[in-house]
Amino acid sequence: MTNVQHQRRGARGHRGAGTLLLSPALVITGAFVFVPIVLTAWISLHEWSMYTPMSEMRWLGLDNYEALWASGNFRSALWHTVVYALMVVGITLPLAFLLAMLLYFPSVRGRHVVRTILFATYVVPTIAVALVWGNLYAPGYGPLDQMVMALGLDSVGWISDPDVALFSIALFNVWQMLGYYTVLLIAGLTQVPAEVFEAARIDGAGWWRQTVSIIIPLLRPTLVFVAMIAVINSIQVFDPVYLLTQGGPSDATNVLTFEIQRTAFQFGLAGQASAMAMSLLLVLLVLAGTILAARRLRGTR
Amino acid sequence: MRRLARIGAVVGLAAAAVFPLFPLYWMFISSVKSPAELSEIPPTWWPRELTFDAYTTVFDVVPFGSAMANSVLIAGVGTLSVLVTSIGAGYVFAKYRFRGRDALFWTLVGTMFLPPIVTLVPLYWMVSSLGLADSYLGVLLPWLANPFGIFLMRQFCLDVPDELIDAARVDGAGELRILWTVVVPLLRPAVVTLAVFAFVYYWNSFLWPLSVLQSDDKFPVVLALSQLLSYATSVRYQSVVMAGALVASIPTIVVFLLTQRVFIQNISRTGVK
Repeated sequence: MTNVQHQRRGARGHRGAGTLLLSPALVITGAFVFVPIVLTAWISLHEWSMYTPMSEMRWLGLDNYEALWASGNFRSALWHTVVYALMVVGITLPLAFLLAMLLYFPSVRGRHVVRTILFATYVVPTIAVALVWGNLYAPGYGPLDQMVMALGLDSVGWISDPDVALFSIALFNVWQMLGYYTVLLIAGLTQVPAEVFEAARIDGAGWWRQTVSIIIPLLRPTLVFVAMIAVINSIQVFDPVYLLTQGGPSDATNVLTFEIQRTAFQFGLAGQASAMAMSLLLVLLVLAGTILAARRLRGTR
Repeated sequence: MRRLARIGAVVGLAAAAVFPLFPLYWMFISSVKSPAELSEIPPTWWPRELTFDAYTTVFDVVPFGSAMANSVLIAGVGTLSVLVTSIGAGYVFAKYRFRGRDALFWTLVGTMFLPPIVTLVPLYWMVSSLGLADSYLGVLLPWLANPFGIFLMRQFCLDVPDELIDAARVDGAGELRILWTVVVPLLRPAVVTLAVFAFVYYWNSFLWPLSVLQSDDKFPVVLALSQLLSYATSVRYQSVVMAGALVASIPTIVVFLLTQRVFIQNISRTGVK
């Protein structure tokens, strides 16, 4: 008897059990992910404070969306999020690649310890380490400022200077996520057959050539995956902003997640907040669609 | 040249270890400095005298002990539920055939990439209309299942040989029994990985509990920490904040260190598959 036949018969016989096993996950995800997406769309068309009953919602049509584009707040929050994501990806990806190469190739003792240490920052509560970074960033007496001044440079307003604050929040994210991305890239490197490197070495390709023309192209799927995760992760930045800057100074770190949360929960403007959330979702869907289309195009070529 | 490369690698590795460790080191030494030493400029890079007073003070200024207990409860129940729902769903998605299976699976997994902020407002509304605002159950409801968990379990269930399951079926074992006695033992590394992932994720989550909970006796420890910040208006009290941050981090760090080999290996596999 072939496997397929057997499996089919099994599936028919055990349908009840299958439903039982699958439905909890389906019901919960349906109720607390898919229903809320639809509700967000619905609320975004209304004027509503979430602290009053839903019966007091007032229909607005697309007015909330028009108001969004008219208000500088949403546009600047969107812009800050884009800049933040670019900084995070731009710093993390090369660093993580370098570290992955360093941890994968040379047979130096202690590699595994370093890998564990690097990854450990990912499991420490963001709020706890954001408190520490607030301390590291302290003006004048903070250790980072001390280092900078020891180099003979001026004190940096890490989280008080509007030109620097968003970068400081990004640097914090780099610190926390670097190990995670490095580990993903190491896993990608293990997928590259060893013969490829051997062949390149016999051909006399130098270290740099080997990296640029062999490793990076072979690693591209993992690099793209890591970049994607880093972007998704960047959109969610909230904890350090809430704790360290409250969106300031002068709105320089007001990112989307923070702006949406405070519009809804502090200002009570659930309709507006939902319009922002929907706009974010639409942007993400367009991005995802573009990536998928590009991949399909490449596939057919 | 070779020697030079080797030295470079060692230096690079040392830097790679110092960068993540320094803030954690700073957290520790700031928690054991005396108030007088904390207000010194420039700061001391190694504490002159150690005092552990901050570790008792932190339990006095905010209800830190009950906050730790709240976190254990919320993260613990969330983790258990994620394990149960993910193993069941992952097994069915890997080993059952039904129409629309793959579409359903990838739709579920796609929500992994949905930023939580998109559904925050209606989730709050749903939870509060159920009368569950400001309650543990309210925090837990959307945490009872997790798309990453379903994805992870399905990937690992794919590796379970069909022959084993078929043999058990021929022996007349029921599906739940097969899952529990045949499949789950083979999934042990995946179960450990998901348990650590879920526990760390829920322990560290801030945005959702912040939005749902109001009374501080229900706060998980990350919310208690953010309250501590308002207490630490003076640099003299930084030791209390740092002690709190350190205590709050211990459970996740311990859980991670105990399982790090399996955890890192399996988490990294998700990126390759």
